[in-house]
Amino acid sequence: MTRTPAKMIYRHPVAVRLTHWLSALALIILAMSGMQIFNAHPALYTGDASTFGHPVFSIGARQASDGTPVGFVQVGSHVIRTTGVLGYGPDGVGGMSARAFPAWATIPAYQDLADGRRWHFFFAWIFVICALIYAPWAVRLLPSRNDLRALPAALREHLPPWRVKPAPRLNPLQKVTYAGIVLVVAPLVILSGLALSPAVDAWAPWLPQLFGGRQFARIWHFGAMLALMLFFVVHLVMVALTGLTNNLRSMITGWLRVP
Amino acid sequence: MKYGRRTFLGLVATLPLAGCASLATSLNDHPGFHRFLLLPETLDLAILGAGQPLAREYRPQDISPDFRANGFDPPSDPEYRRWSRNGWRGYRLVVDGLVRLPRSYDLAMLRHAFIRRTQITRHDCVEGWSVIGEWSGVRLADVLNDCGVRPEARYVVFHCMDTDGGGTYYYESLSLKQAAHPQALLAYDLNGKPVPIKNGAPLRLKVPTQLGYKSAKYVKRIEVVAALGGPLGRGGYWEDQGYEWYAGI
Repeated sequence: MTRTPAKMIYRHPVAVRLTHWLSALALIILAMSGMQIFNAHPALYTGDASTFGHPVFSIGARQASDGTPVGFVQVGSHVIRTTGVLGYGPDGVGGMSARAFPAWATIPAYQDLADGRRWHFFFAWIFVICALIYAPWAVRLLPSRNDLRALPAALREHLPPWRVKPAPRLNPLQKVTYAGIVLVVAPLVILSGLALSPAVDAWAPWLPQLFGGRQFARIWHFGAMLALMLFFVVHLVMVALTGLTNNLRSMITGWLRVP
Repeated sequence: MKYGRRTFLGLVATLPLAGCASLATSLNDHPGFHRFLLLPETLDLAILGAGQPLAREYRPQDISPDFRANGFDPPSDPEYRRWSRNGWRGYRLVVDGLVRLPRSYDLAMLRHAFIRRTQITRHDCVEGWSVIGEWSGVRLADVLNDCGVRPEARYVVFHCMDTDGGGTYYYESLSLKQAAHPQALLAYDLNGKPVPIKNGAPLRLKVPTQLGYKSAKYVKRIEVVAALGGPLGRGGYWEDQGYEWYAGI
């Protein structure tokens, strides 16, 4: 049995590597400062205006019958106890308090809507600038008909996922996943965020309407964030399973070793 | 052992986040870095403030059953309470500063000497919620024109009658350009009735193209000035607490 020597290929150009790390940083900060902003009114509604008594989703705190505080998450008519993490948890200044997302998940850690907004709108610009620079590569992620046809086979190759080998080109499953994140979820999170701005809404009244109203746009914005975080976790797991150092090197120096 | 593993997995998941939160919080508390975070506001104002598009106006059936109030308690001084009990007799809106003719108006003058404007617009609170209401009143621009704004004027400051817990008065400001927006209203009616006390009676500002805190309640004096700063702070009560002066986002 002869072993073919590993080959180094230049996989990621500098613009891709730069926008990858910058938007990764921006997205983490956007999610964490977004949770800070969400804490100011932790409830989601459909439509244009808020129906305060009946949110479709909310995170809150109440007193149990024995007087102890209880944190909860409400989705429709379901209520889940989440004391210690959501609804009632660490306040960032050494105690516990009623707050939707805990101090360790928000920027800043303590409750501060004004500064949470400053972080959010600063890194929103970083993310949008990254998106513009990356756009020429983003369109190449569109899966071709062949990619879609090869998708079931690619899925089988990913079972178990640690058997996936580094390859000079994206496999169909990667293409579909990245296309979904880059071409669907990222535009969704940007546009639904813009729809929350009263000034943007005056310029483009169709934008909040596209999402079912300004309050409904908050649901889209929140949901797109959850989708990005889910992708983030799966992405990290796959990077680790398929050769952590090789993958990290390729996204830092551009060079990937392929068998 | 089971508890130990759960705790361990919990820590693995939360420690990187907690690290980010604590690093970002220390940067947030650093004055130099914090100034850096303020930069986008100028850019946002330059882009979104470049024109004067109209906020969407809604249909009567879109009006929220209750127009939620936020902010301070209603003014507590005896004069305000006396006015509120006798149909606002004695209340006058003062317009002064860089105007050719400083004037004051009672509510009857505002209601009858100016064209009444009505708009059903959405009110977006900085906290994230929205309500829709029908506001009637006079255009801010009509009142300013009645007094004649002097050429060196740049900003319009709204002095209010409500105070925070420590006794600091609420105030807000707009640029002259923002004050000229056709939907910038000095509102005396909400949903066809005089503005309720919780919503800013007898007269409040309504600026539907910016967040709710710009729409100052309980307005008693409009001062036209050349610049903000100094005793005028950053141009508003919440601006002095770190919120954006340009609240279009």
